[in-house]
Amino acid sequence: MKQVSNMSDLFERLNDLKVVFRYGQKLIPIIQSIIDFMKETVPLLEDINTSIADSTNKIPKAKDQITNVTSATELATTEILDIADSISIDLDKIEKELKLLQENETKKKELWVKIKDLLKDNDGSGQLVEEYEQLDNSIAVMANFQKVFDKIKNDVYNITLSLQVQDITSQQLAAVNHLIESVRQRLSSLVMHLDETELSNMELVKIDSPDNSTFNPEAVYTKSQEKQDMADSLVNSNSSKASQDEIDKLFS
Amino acid sequence: MKKIILVADDSPSIRKFVSFALAMKGFEIISAADGMEALEKLPDKQISLVITDLNMPNLDGFELIKSMRSNDQFKDIPIIILSSLAGSDEIQKGMEIGANSYLIKPFDPKRIVYEVSKYLN
Repeated sequence: MKQVSNMSDLFERLNDLKVVFRYGQKLIPIIQSIIDFMKETVPLLEDINTSIADSTNKIPKAKDQITNVTSATELATTEILDIADSISIDLDKIEKELKLLQENETKKKELWVKIKDLLKDNDGSGQLVEEYEQLDNSIAVMANFQKVFDKIKNDVYNITLSLQVQDITSQQLAAVNHLIESVRQRLSSLVMHLDETELSNMELVKIDSPDNSTFNPEAVYTKSQEKQDMADSLVNSNSSKASQDEIDKLFS
Repeated sequence: MKKIILVADDSPSIRKFVSFALAMKGFEIISAADGMEALEKLPDKQISLVITDLNMPNLDGFELIKSMRSNDQFKDIPIIILSSLAGSDEIQKGMEIGANSYLIKPFDPKRIVYEVSKYLN
């Protein structure tokens, strides 16, 4: 009887096994499709990994280019400022000469009034005097020159004012460089996590920490006086506070 | 005799620009690329006023001002901060540690001439 019971158990287990195999047969296509998917995905992931490593290695070049742009604009700005400086010096010289000429012309005019007075009794001089006076427009011409000089000086001043944009943009570019370096460091660590063997084949380029350059990431080129007004009010409040301290000291 | 102004800024164009604005008004300008260089140059000549940036390598503007104010030789020299940092914290800090004026970049050269004249004339 015991043997019959054992056999019945065995059949039951075999039946269970048959059910498992049936399920297994159903699962095989699903597992196959997962394997196929993995086969397709792995090269894709490797491509992504290679691409990230490649991009990471290109970042130093991008940083160098930004640094070069900053240096070039710095140099150009300094050269323009040198020229503007030279123009201003020349304009000052010309203006001084012009002032001397204007003073001389004024004196000449005064003398001319006296000469004209002496000539009034001389027959025939009237027409000559009139012709001379018509030709003599030097004071008016010099006044026009002065206006032109003032305009040129103002233009030079405005050019130099606008050149401050270089300092602001160089700070903004330095901030971008800093950001790029942060991204590069993140990408480098990502590549290391994804595939260490790949990394050994593809040595990541190291960037020396940027030349101890300093920058304000929020530097803005604006002609608005708003920020300066705010600074002035803080400076003024600070100085009045200091005066109060001085008063307090007197009574301590 | 020309009054001497020391300009400390890591931007060559700003140093040039400040020199451009002040040299025309008859001041002699000495430049320094950072706070450290400024401290080295201070004893060389009779400096009448210092214009300093805040963000500078090696030694920043705040440290330069602190060093000057703690030194008997330089503690009375007027200091003008010239910076793109426009936050109230920086302005307050600058004034508290001993700056006399605070100008924000980009600045009007006429304003810097005015500020300098305020202390030197």
